[in-house]
Amino acid sequence: MTGAATVGEVLDGLSDDGLEGYTYAYLDEHTKREVRRAVLKAVAIPGHQVPFASRPMPLARGWGTGGIQTSLSLLGPAETFKVIDQGADDSVNAANIRRLAARTADVETTTDTTAADVIQTRHRIPEEVLGADQVLVLQVPITDPLRTVDPSDAANRRRHAHANYGKIWVRLYESIVEHGEVQIAARYPVMVAGRYLMDPSPIPRWDVPKLDNAENLFLFAAGREARIYAVPPHTDVQPLAFEDRPFRVERFDGACRACGATDTYLTEIETDDGERLLVCNDTSFCEKRQAEPTLSKDHHLDRSGVDWGPGTETSVEMTTNTGPATDDPDPDTGGDRA
Amino acid sequence: MRTLGLDPVHDVRAAFRGLCAAMSRPGTVEGVPAPADHAVLAALVDHEVTVVTPDEEVREALDREGRLNEGAPETADIVHTRGVPEWDVRDAKQGSLTEPSNGATVVYRVDSVREGTTLRLHGPGVPGTRTAAVTLPPPELQALAAAQPYPRGVDAVFADQEQVLAVPRSAGLEVA
Repeated sequence: MTGAATVGEVLDGLSDDGLEGYTYAYLDEHTKREVRRAVLKAVAIPGHQVPFASRPMPLARGWGTGGIQTSLSLLGPAETFKVIDQGADDSVNAANIRRLAARTADVETTTDTTAADVIQTRHRIPEEVLGADQVLVLQVPITDPLRTVDPSDAANRRRHAHANYGKIWVRLYESIVEHGEVQIAARYPVMVAGRYLMDPSPIPRWDVPKLDNAENLFLFAAGREARIYAVPPHTDVQPLAFEDRPFRVERFDGACRACGATDTYLTEIETDDGERLLVCNDTSFCEKRQAEPTLSKDHHLDRSGVDWGPGTETSVEMTTNTGPATDDPDPDTGGDRA
Repeated sequence: MRTLGLDPVHDVRAAFRGLCAAMSRPGTVEGVPAPADHAVLAALVDHEVTVVTPDEEVREALDREGRLNEGAPETADIVHTRGVPEWDVRDAKQGSLTEPSNGATVVYRVDSVREGTTLRLHGPGVPGTRTAAVTLPPPELQALAAAQPYPRGVDAVFADQEQVLAVPRSAGLEVA
């Protein structure tokens, strides 16, 4: 401590160091190689959970560490990065992940879905159609859809090995017997390329159809469970359903209070007066819609009528199942065994 | 890997992104830094995985950084060959049903990934069918198809001077 008269001087000296000593994109090259090898194997075996050596990150596991490691292994200095948390760009977690990437990987950041090269997301797929040159990185709390029927990872790996998915079908059947339809709000199990049962991360059912035959690559990364899996573009992804009980997305009794949309995933908010309002979950698209109400989800593509998620019908039938589905109130807890 | 004329951060990242795009869309040609097979190896190989390569320059560069962990063609995670290998691709590691991702990545250095034997691909990453071509004799490519009993199998990367084309095991491969 020679030469420094005050604490302030010492701090000033430290701030000069900046990011000196950090490698590009925060992760060391050894870590990136590990993540990249897992990503490539995941792409080669769509829906299979590939183990990787997940590193400690400067935030707790379960807060997007898998997603961050994957995003930082992808990003380059000429790219633009978007981070959303349950549809919003402005949550503390999303803002900090964006800032980490901007400072260490020297990327541009954006809230505009159509301007991003890499989008990291927690529990939503954007409403605007993703293109072939975009990559969506989904944060995953629980990797295995079979865990809801058997807590044993070893037994579930054997089931995946032999595509033995009888137990999950029984669960869906029981749900129908009990409630009249499958009551899984988020983490709806899907079959990928007809081979692997996959947990699509806690996206709402609304987003599940977007995985099927998309233009873009989806990467699913779980830092806590140290697994990466993927859905390549143009891959068949089907939610599990019975012939006489087809898969259904959420139904909403109303339109977005802010932009009037009836073709987006809406969430309920409660005002101070106790009034319940429906608003768009995807805030970036909602803002665009507020400026231009007729904007379509594929407005930025050179072709229109692109099939992306549920259609734009407003005459969706409301059944006895009103209100939010009863299970899995917080997708992160994975508490859908109630 | 500066010694291979590659930037260890940015060239390697570009190689990975090219490889990732090629794997996501089997049969498409993607640009990577030259020489493409060196860039692919630089992106994937370190001491955590075993490698087989006939390329003395690559071996030396990896060894200098403590990243060389050599294996046999039958056991290595990443196998590199110039053209048709001396070993049989069907003997390369295919992983197990519980952990198919242990299957090897086979990197073929070829003269061109735009002409040669015609491949017809379908499956994940391919809308309908896609036609591609690499300069390898049909028997080698037929052996590769036999080395991909999905979900086990090897994943193939073909590299010419500055482009890659991938045939992951998820792709249905027909050799014309």
